Amino acid sequence: MTAAPAPAGGELPAGLRARVLEASRRARAAGRSVPEVSEIAPVEAFRRAADALYGTLRALSGEDWRRPAIRDLDVQGLVGHLTGVEHDLQRALAGDPAVGRAGHVESTQGAAVRQAGRSPAETLGEWHDAAADTLTQVAERDGTSAIIALHGLELPLNAWLVARAFELWTHENDIRLASGLQAAVPDAATLTLMTRLAVGLLPHAVAGTGLGRAARVHLVLTGPGGGTWDVEVGDGGAIVPDPARASIVTDAAGFCRLVANRASPAGMELHITGDQPAAAGVLAAAASLALD
Amino acid sequence: MRGTDALLTARLAAGDDHALAEVFDRFGAVVYGAAVGVVGDGSAAQDVVQDVFVELWRHPDRYDPDAGSLRTYLLVLARNRAVDTVRSELRRIARQQRHFRLTPGEPPRSPGEEVLTADVASTVREAIRRLPDAQRRVIELAYFEGMTCREVALAAGIPEGTAKSRLRLALAKLETVLDRQLLESP
Repeated sequence: MTAAPAPAGGELPAGLRARVLEASRRARAAGRSVPEVSEIAPVEAFRRAADALYGTLRALSGEDWRRPAIRDLDVQGLVGHLTGVEHDLQRALAGDPAVGRAGHVESTQGAAVRQAGRSPAETLGEWHDAAADTLTQVAERDGTSAIIALHGLELPLNAWLVARAFELWTHENDIRLASGLQAAVPDAATLTLMTRLAVGLLPHAVAGTGLGRAARVHLVLTGPGGGTWDVEVGDGGAIVPDPARASIVTDAAGFCRLVANRASPAGMELHITGDQPAAAGVLAAAASLALD
Repeated sequence: MRGTDALLTARLAAGDDHALAEVFDRFGAVVYGAAVGVVGDGSAAQDVVQDVFVELWRHPDRYDPDAGSLRTYLLVLARNRAVDTVRSELRRIARQQRHFRLTPGEPPRSPGEEVLTADVASTVREAIRRLPDAQRRVIELAYFEGMTCREVALAAGIPEGTAKSRLRLALAKLETVLDRQLLESP
């Protein structure tokens, strides 16, 4: 058999590159990660996060409950904080405007300090009941798209449920870290909702941090729960240049830790190309999304 | 820190079409060269290249960076696609020859079809020509005459089991020749 001489690089037929890329995009839309993950409802993400935290808390020793966790709170106080958040969310669902203006930490500090001197079982039971009440109230509502004002933010209830799943996961890992346990990672379906929410909020976060210039940033979140987005950030109404000025590649779970303000860009596996200041601005803005 | 291939694949899985363009720019010429080595430099080679990259884009998780380089993986994909092309061309040629025998006066095919056929068919025919006589004979009878194994055995005057084993050997040799061409491509 006489083999045709193989072409060297750069000898591709004209138009082959464009043809291949176009056919590929037709076969699978850009942006969506594979393997595809079954969609779950935001309320299911919240339920799963609550179940995961409950499992972690039930396995703690009495000593673990007294370990320092975050701010001035031990593990027990942190669980009290979460009980306070559930109660605030329930007040918001009932239409109480006061919790819309309240601070996330200040408003729940009373519930946190109230745990001192109580048994872990009492604290656990109170939080577990509060999370169950939230699920009941959500189930009794006519839909989950209504805008809810809570702790200085106005978001659709669906987004709040994902944000709550985000917070439960974050604090579960605070507790696991305090207790010497390995960090947990949400399942891919929950993580998908979390990354979508965080990416959707990025432009607002960037506006809040004053990145200033209009920019399009190509954000690639790898691994389960990941995806690809071209995020437009900067001045409202400004024309965003195309193509993207900067590209950021990192894994989805790591990005969520950044958004939760539990990781810093310096400690992450990041691959940044293009406009470094624009990328740094987006990463700083991501970390500012945390309510703590 | 992930290696380049692992990172590229993770980006592909995340739906990053910029990564796909990077992979094509890095390996497109090599994959094309491999395809040309098997099916010739007509549009069949371009079809192979397209199939290889579409497959990678749709199923990036099928590539395991721990098992080898992305370049090798793409070359294996190219080899499989190209051999599939050759096999289907073998079947098509055989079908057509039988058809022409039965229906003389069939209108000629379009110039494009002729070019594609000429590229691939000449490669295939050359590979068959280089087979040992006994193996070439059973291939010709089976593919070009459209005979069953039993009929091949009768026509060649050999036991049916021998016909089957010669066919297997001949096909394996054809694949080996095509593989070697592919692996020798840059």
